[in-house]
Formats: sequence, structure tokens, C-alpha cells
Amino acid sequence: MIAIVGAGPAGLAAAMTAAQGGEEIVVIDSAPRPGGQYWRHLNQVEGYKSGRSEKYFEALRERKNVIHISGAQIWSAVPGENSITLNYLADGIESSITVQKIILATGAHDRAIPFTGWERPGVMTPGAAQALLKGHNVMAGQQILITGTGPFLLPVAVGLAAAGADVVGIVEAHSPLRWLMSPVALALNPQKALELLYYIRKIAKYKLKIRFNQAVVAFDGKSATIAKVSKDLTTKKIVSKVHCDVVAAGWGFSPDVTLGGILGCKQIVDLDGTVIFAVDNHQRSSQPNIWIAGEATGIGGADLALIEGRIAGLSALGLGISLRLRFQRYRLQKFARALQVSYPVGNGWQGWLRSESKVCRCEEVSLGEICSSVTELSANDARTSKLFTRAGMGMCQGRICSRNVSEIIGVQTQCQVTDQERIAYSNRPIAAPISLGALTDGIK
Amino acid sequence: MSNSASQKISFTFNGVAHEGVRGQSIAAALMESGVRELRQTRFGNEPRLIFCGIGVCFDCVVVVNEVANQRACLVEIAPGDQIRSSK
Repeated sequence: MIAIVGAGPAGLAAAMTAAQGGEEIVVIDSAPRPGGQYWRHLNQVEGYKSGRSEKYFEALRERKNVIHISGAQIWSAVPGENSITLNYLADGIESSITVQKIILATGAHDRAIPFTGWERPGVMTPGAAQALLKGHNVMAGQQILITGTGPFLLPVAVGLAAAGADVVGIVEAHSPLRWLMSPVALALNPQKALELLYYIRKIAKYKLKIRFNQAVVAFDGKSATIAKVSKDLTTKKIVSKVHCDVVAAGWGFSPDVTLGGILGCKQIVDLDGTVIFAVDNHQRSSQPNIWIAGEATGIGGADLALIEGRIAGLSALGLGISLRLRFQRYRLQKFARALQVSYPVGNGWQGWLRSESKVCRCEEVSLGEICSSVTELSANDARTSKLFTRAGMGMCQGRICSRNVSEIIGVQTQCQVTDQERIAYSNRPIAAPISLGALTDGIK
Repeated sequence: MSNSASQKISFTFNGVAHEGVRGQSIAAALMESGVRELRQTRFGNEPRLIFCGIGVCFDCVVVVNEVANQRACLVEIAPGDQIRSSK
């Protein structure tokens, strides 16, 4: 039996491919419905190629050799001799399943960067605004300002505007001219130009105002302060204030590497500092019988995730990978690399904060407290600072703040954050919170 | 999708009656009816709403039928739910 963890594009592509080979497949996903963060289906939202998911959902529903366990949070994984046991929590009950092979497709979440007032109600990630609309048919607010960096801001803005939201602007920190640094990636991916054209037309249709080289650096609950920023995000000058009740701010993505980390799959640090898994050209991890596909092997978007999922599914069946599939992956990987080059997240954001601005949202730890842990208490890495300040010790277990805390300590101590530290803060020994009651009640 | 709009669900939040649609998360249903504060923080008593919206940040935790630390962005509303803010 093959277990596939995650029912987003990568997981669903892996499931459909592996199921076609006749294997018994179990897809385990934490959401109540399949699709991951990319495909959500309470209602249809306007977006480029938004109707691609149906054949994957159908395979999940109709194929007799595919079981879908939804609403299940895997909290631990234990490798056996020729098997792997996944322990999960569903409907308050702890269960486990033992399989021969697993394909991890655990996806990613928006990377968040603090600014003054980012803890106020109304500040959220673009993913949150999109999830509210796509998954729940709810508009995040009356006047929505979208900010951050990267092409994901466009579908979020267009989706919201098409559904009737008042999108008061898109504030992109970088210039589109940065794409000129990646001519090979552009030449290899002409289909991406069509996607861009689609969004340019929609931006014109909904009369969306887009600003480049600017960022939201503060929010007071009623309006957002917008500054012109340099390419490392340092504020050059404040340019305007925009009235809004929602600021949706997203700075690329952080993959979920927890489960593969627990299973000992080798991790590496990508060019932009993101911790990802090292996989070979069959999507095999460093551990036997574990494949990894999608964002956890490098942020690349749904198109790349679909190809990687297919490759992982074929490889798990013991089949070869065609040249055509390898080329499709190669050119999309080139494109993913160009995304990193075009939309870097430098450390200039640290200057947007006041001393009392919160950096760790869970434990309410301010920039000032983190800096004093360095200057007063001689903390020289994120872990030591965490022990002094509790930054990263709250319920999210540092998923939101640990990378930012680490970058702050790096700037304060004038030391580069090491790969070892990046891998350390990206991993946690337990993948999801579980109560001792659920562990000890003997129901399994 | 099409017929779900008719399936109204009643629940309470901090003692006040609210309505939502089947399949909606607690956070979505409350935001739809104009709620802008799901809880206050432990130390600074600051209001919090949703942040990541997909179950990662735990900023939106509420008490659902006396079970604490439930993520309002993930847990779907059920008829008769009694939901309150946690600290």
C-alpha cells in the first residue's frame, strides 16, 4: 500500500498516477475536502485554468483502489523495517496506518513578514483572504489592500475583485523588470506569458491599481502606510496612506517539512533561504520508500507540483520517467528559480518595525525584546534568543515567526544565518498538537 | 455549492446568536456577520482575528463546546455550537 500525505495538486497527481498502476492507495489529508490550498470548492472563483481539478477529484472519489482519509492530522511517523507507520488524529480519535511506501506532498503556507500593526484584526495573508472566499464564500473585508511580493498576489486580487470585493490596490515590492534577469526561464516557459496576459487583462477589467517597488510598512486599523522600498525592502520614503480594513500581505511561501524531517529525509537550504527536501530525479528522498513532491521540494507553484506528483507516483510504482516529463519538470524548475531571483525578500523589513512591534504573534514578543536578548543577554542564535524571550514557543511552534526571528538575530549579531540553523528552526519533533488524553485513551 | 446556500446553521458566539452556512468555518461564519475579534491575547489583551486562515498560525483559536484551542479557520460550524473566545 502507498500512502500519499496531502491532497493538493502534487498529492492528487501522485494518487491518480499510482492508482492507474493498480496499487492500493490511501490519501491522508488534514482538510475536510480535497484540493489543498490551491483548489477549494465551496464556490467557483475566477482565475487562470481554475477548472483543472475535476479529473483528480474524480479519481479520488471513483477509483476502488483509492481511500481518502480527510480531516486527519498526522502528528507522528515511525519507520519500521520494511514499512512506515503514520499516526494521525481525526475527529478527536488517534489512529494509525502502516504502509510500505509514502509520497509526501505536504504543501506550503504563505510566508509572513511583520510590520507595525500586523497583529491587528484585518491583517492576514493573501492565502487567508483567498481561502475565505474560495472555501467559505466570505469576503475578508470591505476594502482590501494586497501587498507583498510575487505573482501569487495577482490571482488573489483578481479572484477577490471578480467576486465583488473592493480591492483598493496591489502593492508589489519589486519591479517586473527583474524578470529580464531570467531570459532562459522565460524562453522555456512561453505558457507563462499567456497566464500573465490573462491577469493583465483582468487587472484592466477590474481597474485594479498596481504599484511596484512599494510595500505596506504599517497599518493602524483604518489605513495602511505605503512606502517606496529598495530591493532589499529598506524604506526609502513614505509615499501614501490608503484607507482599508484588510491588508493581505504575502512574501512567498514556506513549505511544510515537518513530517519528512521526522522521518529523517535529507533537507537542504534553497537559494532564498527556504528549507526544502533533497530529492533525486525520481522525486525519491534520501530515505528508502519515501518520495516527496510539490512545494516541499522547492516552491514552484501548482504546475510544477502536478508534474512532480506524477513523477513520484510513477516512480513509486517502479516505472521509468519519460524524457518529456523530465523536460516539463526542468523548465518549470527553471521558472521557479527565476521567481526567487525576481522576488527576493531582503532584510530591510526589520526597519519597518518599532521597538514595541510584535514579531512573535503567539507569545507577543516584540522586536525590542528580541534585540535585548542579543545586546543584554548575549544570545547569538535564534534558539538561545527563544529560550530568553519565548519567541517561537507558542502554539504555532514558530511556523510564522522563527525564520523572521532568526533573520533579526543575524542582523543584530552581524552574522549570516547558517544552513544548520535554518534546518533546525524548520523542524519540530511532533507534527501537530495532540492532547495526552487522545494518546492515552486506548481508542485506536 | 448551489444548494448549500439554503442550509443555514444557528450557533452562538460569546452568548450571541449567529447564523452561518453548512461547510463554513467558524471564522468565516463570524466574519460574514461582521465579527472582527475572535479572542484577546493573554498578555496585551489585544484583539485578534484570523491571520494565516489555513490552520498554521493558531491565532484564531476559540473554545468550541468547551473544547479549548480549536482553530476557528478550520473547524466547520455545526448546529447548536456554543463558541466562546479563549485567552
